[in-house]
Amino acid sequence: MKKVTCLLLATALSSLVAVPLVNAQQPSGREIMDLVDEAQRATSDSAFNRMQLSTCKFGVKDSRITCAERARVKALESVGKNYGLNLKDTKSITIVLEPAAERGIGMLSFAYDESDRDNETWLYLSALGRVKRIASGSSDDDTEPASVFGSEFTTEDTETGKLEEYQINVLEQTTESGRDVWKIEMIPNEERARKSRYSRTVSYIDKERFVALRTEMYDQYGKEVKRLLASKVELVNDVWVARSLTMMNLVTNRLSNMAILEINTGINVDDEFLTQRTLTDVAFRETELEKIRSQIK
Amino acid sequence: MEKILLSLSDAFAEAPNKVLLFKSFVLTGLIVTSIIMLYGIFTRTELDMTTDSFLDQSDPAIYALNEYRRQFGSDDSVFLVYRAKDGDVFSRESLTAIQQLTEDLSYGAGLDPSDYPESINGIALNFDELNHIRRVQSIANVRFQENVGDTLLSNRLVPTQLPDSDEALAEIKARALAQEDYLLAFYSADAQYGAVMIQTDFGAQPVADYVSAVDAADIVLDDSFGGFDAFDGADGFDLEFDESVEIQEVIFEPVDMLGYTNFHIITKGLYEKYSAQFDFYPVGNPPMMEFMLEILTQMQVLGAVMVLIFTLLLWILFRSFSAVLWPMVTIAASMAWTWGITVWLGITVSQMISLTVLLVFAVGIADCVHVMSAYFTYRRSGEEHYTALSLSYRKTGLAILVTTITTMAGVLALTTSDLIPIQVFGFMSAAGVGMAFFFTIVLLPILLDLWHPGAPDADASLADKLGVRWQNLSTGKKVAIAVAYIALVYLLLGLFVGTYITLITVLTYVVVNWQKQILTYVPYIVAKRPYLILGIFAAVFLVCAYGTSKVKIDTNMTELTREGSPLRVAYEIVDENMAGAQSMVIMVDTKTTDGLLNPKLLQAIDTLQTRIETRYADQVTRTNSLANIVKDTYQTMNNDDPAFYQVPDTEQMISQLLYLFNSANPEDRRSLVSDDYSRSHITLNIYNAGSYEYQIFFDEISVDIEETFAGLEEEFPELDVYLTGSMALLMRMADEVANSQFSSFTLAIIVISVIMIITLGSLQAGLMAMVPNLIPALLGFGLMGLMGISLDTDTIMIAPLIIGIAVDDTIHFMTHYRIELIRTGSVSESLRSTINDVGQAVMFTTMVIGLGFALLSFSDYLGMAKMGFFGSAAIFVALLCDLFMIPAMIIIFKPTFGVKDADTRIIFMENPA
Repeated sequence: MKKVTCLLLATALSSLVAVPLVNAQQPSGREIMDLVDEAQRATSDSAFNRMQLSTCKFGVKDSRITCAERARVKALESVGKNYGLNLKDTKSITIVLEPAAERGIGMLSFAYDESDRDNETWLYLSALGRVKRIASGSSDDDTEPASVFGSEFTTEDTETGKLEEYQINVLEQTTESGRDVWKIEMIPNEERARKSRYSRTVSYIDKERFVALRTEMYDQYGKEVKRLLASKVELVNDVWVARSLTMMNLVTNRLSNMAILEINTGINVDDEFLTQRTLTDVAFRETELEKIRSQIK
Repeated sequence: MEKILLSLSDAFAEAPNKVLLFKSFVLTGLIVTSIIMLYGIFTRTELDMTTDSFLDQSDPAIYALNEYRRQFGSDDSVFLVYRAKDGDVFSRESLTAIQQLTEDLSYGAGLDPSDYPESINGIALNFDELNHIRRVQSIANVRFQENVGDTLLSNRLVPTQLPDSDEALAEIKARALAQEDYLLAFYSADAQYGAVMIQTDFGAQPVADYVSAVDAADIVLDDSFGGFDAFDGADGFDLEFDESVEIQEVIFEPVDMLGYTNFHIITKGLYEKYSAQFDFYPVGNPPMMEFMLEILTQMQVLGAVMVLIFTLLLWILFRSFSAVLWPMVTIAASMAWTWGITVWLGITVSQMISLTVLLVFAVGIADCVHVMSAYFTYRRSGEEHYTALSLSYRKTGLAILVTTITTMAGVLALTTSDLIPIQVFGFMSAAGVGMAFFFTIVLLPILLDLWHPGAPDADASLADKLGVRWQNLSTGKKVAIAVAYIALVYLLLGLFVGTYITLITVLTYVVVNWQKQILTYVPYIVAKRPYLILGIFAAVFLVCAYGTSKVKIDTNMTELTREGSPLRVAYEIVDENMAGAQSMVIMVDTKTTDGLLNPKLLQAIDTLQTRIETRYADQVTRTNSLANIVKDTYQTMNNDDPAFYQVPDTEQMISQLLYLFNSANPEDRRSLVSDDYSRSHITLNIYNAGSYEYQIFFDEISVDIEETFAGLEEEFPELDVYLTGSMALLMRMADEVANSQFSSFTLAIIVISVIMIITLGSLQAGLMAMVPNLIPALLGFGLMGLMGISLDTDTIMIAPLIIGIAVDDTIHFMTHYRIELIRTGSVSESLRSTINDVGQAVMFTTMVIGLGFALLSFSDYLGMAKMGFFGSAAIFVALLCDLFMIPAMIIIFKPTFGVKDADTRIIFMENPA
């Protein structure tokens, strides 16, 4: 089955965050992406985030990409913590705040690094008041890229890591949005290509801040089908973060904006919080969240 | 009027000699222009063979389909049904093979081309075509949801690693057969048949030169995308929006026959590797189009044979090779100019150009044969070349002009159609017919001047020599040769083609040897029993009219192929064993975000499905929609309690159930409902049927839709629910073609009648001339009606052409008669000379064109075969009408066509023998 949604959000977030590269003159594409990966692992731990997903049809007016309709908005809160050897396993919980119809839906997810151990997901539907464990029988194969909360972001867009499955080339050094960038091409190998919607992606990585300012996704015919634009790049806890990510689907002319309203790392998360109890026990959940929030202030 | 006609006749008599005066000038001009036209044909021809091209892109049907594709991707897919040779698609061998095939189709990039044949049916396997595959589903990879304790499992129906024990395999089979959702979609109830669903991106791929608006220079995101404050714990923000912003509309690449065929060929290459385990029955557009392309190839062969038959017949009938060569040159020039002018005007042509070629061929042959028949007769009766030329144009020119005008009027009537390719076809054909006339008048005299058969005392031609040698044989020898010949023909060509060739031979033999006798006897026979003859024709007319009233206009895709053809067998198998070979969709567009989460709307969808399934059980096998998903999930989440198999009453519940479903099966969710939950669709699996039945079905369903959604207008004022899908489009097109053809056909008959009335100078004569035209026209339809053969789109499209051709001879007959009547003032004299003079040419053209068309009966494509068979029958009946019915009518009604003081006595009652 798919990667679990809250994990996605955690990785999505962390992929935007990177530590500055020290003393690296002319690094290879792989080296650049490795560093991004490493930074990710460090920042996905003990995090509390609030984010907003807005989706709309878009058009261009006066050279500006603008929504052509009122955007659908989803607000989410998530808490994550790393476990296991080298802290490579992740437990996380995501709770939907908006829209009203989905309020209270919670998803608890345990993602394991070991390939022979299945990821586990529990879903809580507030309307039914029930928790369900969702599992795919075998973790074999055909992982369909899933839409993240019905947005234009898919699990594939937000996942990182598994760099050995890509051929990574630095195409050129250029500028994007006025910043010096490496233009890096990632071509999935045969194994990876099976799970991918894209025949290749091209990312523009800010040389100084290590943030992908723009990523282009190409389909099997070599046509660009999606484009990700990052904006509002800010320094958070000594790490550069793009707090506004906009994914445009160039075929359907819809876009989704993922805005990170709040990002907090280094939070002390009680292990008890990352259990099924949080999904069903509203009082417990609120008490624990209050504890987490108090650490921010 | 009479004077005009006579002076026109005189003008035509002058024409050849005038042209010959400027021979080299005219010839050079024609050659130079022809070269320009040929250059245009080879460099500028744009052939559009897509189905979409038949409808205006702004047509609501096309719009609806494009809307659907924009949202849900292509609906073009191959439904590859297979029969396990061991009788069980769940046997270990079958499962292993289908797992492998599913893998091959899904991940074609990893295949080694050397494992496959280089080409199939002469078309090279192109592995890049596999890029068109969007998704492959089969029992090898479909999943099912299962509730075990607190866990919702989504397991593969058949695990990748097959269990070792046969009991475990049997369990898998039992479990699969209990899955209502997959039964008939992926395997038949008796497990003998299985299916692989190959979804493609055909018709949903943006055109090659599509450039997204965001690619323009200096494009930036609106400021509101960063419009939230840093770390202030804001409760969120809203993106600015502007409803006046223009959203770029994606234009999709249309798919043509070749595109589908190339795709089907590679798919075939992949699946035929497993033919030891399975028999395959593919249905869907790609296999259908591959068949159509094969038909087109076959048509080229038939076309070549047709030209050969034309050539042989012309050579035998005229006994001179110049009679073969010059009509061919004239027709080729007419065609080149017509085609050339069209492409120079920048008009895109469709596959209908082949019909234009056919029409120009037939009309051109008729024009040339009439002129040459007259010329040869004059030459054989001792006239000198220039005199013979002038006399033959005087005799035929006017009639050729009239036939040209009537045929042009007939095909121009087609331009009233809404379908663009038919309009283009109408204009091109009219131009082609005009060109044929132009070249017959301008080019043919020059050609005949360059090379023409000698006077009767000149050296006999090869055909003449052969003829003489044959005549000198004894009767015994003749019979022996004939029997040997027929036996050989049947032995080599089989029953059907053998009969056809024998028929050609016998007819040709009779005409060549006894044409004079036949033409002399005809007036005698008619004069003796005119009422009987008229009675017979009247009876035929009535029977045909009755038959025509019974004819059903219906296009059934599979019934256009012969029984036992792979395509037809495939459709039959799928209809018998699986959920039906066709599908269509009902699009539900609420135009409101989250509209589909509304319980009332979802319940209406559910009601509509139940209604369709119960009311149209004969046509619809299954339906599927978002409502099914909601009901399934609701039940699953409530411990599989059947009481929960329903659409819940609250929007919140629906929303959360779909949230769950989306988490588990995002791909399935996306293929069913748009991301903003404003649009969804109901899929109907239906049995293959004809357009006639579908049309009724479509109309009824529209009423059902209207009634079911009636109460929701207040909540969804802009709600739009409609039927669409490739199949619906195709059927709509068939219906459109049939209607447009019917109205243009009626219009053509009226126009031709008016022209006849004007040319023949009297209402009485005009109407009289129309009756023999109507008999051949109705004959084909009548026979089809009586024999219960439905009239399909393709046949009806060609019908006016056949009639146009059949009518031509009648016009020659009547025009000539009128001119003769004006000249001689005697009905008897005019009639006799008309039968004698025009009779021969009419016989020749009928032979050449009728037998040529009859060849099309052998096409594997029944649309073409029906046209060939009934068309040539119509042409031959037209000949009988000209020879017997018109004279009978003239004898009985003694029309004077406005000629005053005409002698109406009939004086050829005596036996000519």
